[in-house]
Amino acid sequence: MALPAHISPAATPAASSRTPTYAVVGNPNCGKSTLFNALTGLKQKVGNYPGVTVEKKVGTTYSQHGQPITVIDLPGTYSLAARSPDEAVTRDVLLGRRADTPMPDRILCILDATNLERNLYLLHQILDLGRPVIVVLNMMDLAAQAGLNIRVARLEHELGVPVIPCEAVHGKGLVELRVAMSRLEVPLARHAWDVPAAIAPAVSELQASLVANDGKSPLIARAEALLLLTDQDSVRVAGSVPLHAKTHEILQAWQKRWEGEGTDWAATLVNSRYDAIGTIAAEVVLAAGETGPTRSDKIDAVVTHPIWGWAILGAIMTAMFVSIFTLAEYPMNFIDEHVAALADFVKSSMAEGDLRDLITDGAIAGVGGVIIFLPQILILFFFIGLLESTGYMARAAFIMDRLMSRVGLNGKSFIPLLSSYACAIPGIMATRTIEQPKDRLVTILVAPLMSCSARLPVYLLMIAALVPGDRVPVMTKVGIMLAMYALGTFGAFGFAWLFKRTLLRGAPPLMIMELPPYHFPRFRDVLLHMVERGWIFLRRAGTVILAISIVLWFLSAYPKFPDATASEQLAQSFAGRAGHVLEPVIEPLGFNWQVGIGLISSFAAREVFVSTMGVVFNAESDEEDTTPLRDAMLNAQWPDGSPLFTPLTCISLMVFYVFAMQCISTIAIVRRETNSWRWPLFQIGYMTGTAWIVSFIVYQAGRALGFQ
Amino acid sequence: MNAELQSILALVIVAIAATALVVRLVKKRKNPGCGGECACPTDDLKVRIRRG
Repeated sequence: MALPAHISPAATPAASSRTPTYAVVGNPNCGKSTLFNALTGLKQKVGNYPGVTVEKKVGTTYSQHGQPITVIDLPGTYSLAARSPDEAVTRDVLLGRRADTPMPDRILCILDATNLERNLYLLHQILDLGRPVIVVLNMMDLAAQAGLNIRVARLEHELGVPVIPCEAVHGKGLVELRVAMSRLEVPLARHAWDVPAAIAPAVSELQASLVANDGKSPLIARAEALLLLTDQDSVRVAGSVPLHAKTHEILQAWQKRWEGEGTDWAATLVNSRYDAIGTIAAEVVLAAGETGPTRSDKIDAVVTHPIWGWAILGAIMTAMFVSIFTLAEYPMNFIDEHVAALADFVKSSMAEGDLRDLITDGAIAGVGGVIIFLPQILILFFFIGLLESTGYMARAAFIMDRLMSRVGLNGKSFIPLLSSYACAIPGIMATRTIEQPKDRLVTILVAPLMSCSARLPVYLLMIAALVPGDRVPVMTKVGIMLAMYALGTFGAFGFAWLFKRTLLRGAPPLMIMELPPYHFPRFRDVLLHMVERGWIFLRRAGTVILAISIVLWFLSAYPKFPDATASEQLAQSFAGRAGHVLEPVIEPLGFNWQVGIGLISSFAAREVFVSTMGVVFNAESDEEDTTPLRDAMLNAQWPDGSPLFTPLTCISLMVFYVFAMQCISTIAIVRRETNSWRWPLFQIGYMTGTAWIVSFIVYQAGRALGFQ
Repeated sequence: MNAELQSILALVIVAIAATALVVRLVKKRKNPGCGGECACPTDDLKVRIRRG
């Protein structure tokens, strides 16, 4: 095959003394992040569903000679014609448009061997860049299971670049890949693709202008020219250098001419590329006759069934919450006893005074009240990791699509919403995969309504107060928990429906969702994910929550009233006064000023409510021994002697936390993702307003019906 | 340790904690948001990205 005119076998940049940089690119869910982690030893989040990586990630690997190699993991994309912000990151890095990232010297293009023809489209565009490329043919085991025989040597011959068969999940092929990456020179592609005759003159003219006026290299200029003809967004990419007026003029002149002639230039280019890809695929992929449904297909027939699918989803959620309540009981008791023992030890070892109170009533009560929930957080993330790893999450999105389409969203919105069950921040970042700006904004606005893991300690504390004792069946607690999760989910759908019909009107998007093949879960990844999240939880408890607990202790202990009882002291303290100011607003919801202190402090983060209750009820206690928080809360009373935490108050409080926007970090990320203060302020307003109204309805209606 | 000394030490600790919270709140981050406390890049990775 002849070397195309636009490609010259120049020395590759990696031959220079600088650390070579590899960009890892490929279609969504082809195993890029798994390969990136295997090469760099980093622990980037991986998941068996598309759209896990929405930003570039950088790591270092080493050649077989021990030389460092920089590896950049880029978000997955089906084509360089970007349709969403995350895909634009990939395109811009590859084209050297990003000021913060130098153009990579070489490209590792990961292809999903089970779907080679579709994956070749992106590779075909990348080869146009004329840069050294190593092709990694991933998931070879799954391709073999699907009855596909891929002629690797033939593909290598057709493309003229190294092709490494690989199973990144099992670490197979990594040695060969490292050897290929260690080569001083990687051959440039020999693939020839004749641009259709009707388009070729325009490509040449644009290429010349991009070189002369926009300062592009001839190779990049050709790729840019082809992209300009198929990707309208490429002309006006935010943050990139605008096109020179002359280049823009040439582009418009050609488009006008083709419009006059009735030529669909974009379709002509795309079809021509598909023809070339089809020829390669026909040579390379040999299917073992007519194959029946795969194992994944058979499982999907049940798991995505309109009735059974919902039943399985419900069963999985129930199993998750049953595990959270039952398995966590012993470690929780263990932590609880040791926290109390530590506080008692400090009390017995130190003389009375402020420092002792700060340590016991502030630091230990605050942090101890939160870390008691560590076992439950670990179980939650174990389940989430397991579901992500197997590929079930994508099925959950598929099941929910019918419901989502009714509210004007689609499956692509559901992945960010699912991520928000763990934490709204990665969920909001994951909205970058959504093409339509209005759909993306709606998803950002409703994502914090999904019950994140920070709400879990609040729910658990309230459920413990609501249904105390071991005599209550665990399914009652599970039922309450499921109801809170369902309320958040349906609340999110309801508001999405409202926003799509009022503020952010738009046509309902089509569902385009790839269902990845099922994988046996990689327990190492699942456990790593779980431990990492547990560590993050502990780190927060040991830093932010500790600091807030200490400050809160001060606010609840000062100014000093030497003759006052503990209750009077707390009521007249700075925190007590703030709670009293808020009390008239929250009293109709069933909350008093002590709960008000918790609502104010938990604006920093929801779980701070629990540590605040720990500090408030410990500060109020006259007892020398440490009382468990749940018991202290159950003993709390209104001035008339009636109990403060009735079942109705507990439900009202949980409902408040389902809807309230109590998270500074989420506000900051919404500000960044929407590039304005308008939307986060709107979000605070509508969520807090809804929280108040729904809690009011629950509490007042409950009372009217005779509940306590 | 007498009560007066305990009060002084406690107030110093409170002042340090309050300062740490204020600094954390007003500190200008290159990537504002969770500060690596979610599933996004860790601090170590951010350093690498900056160097990259």
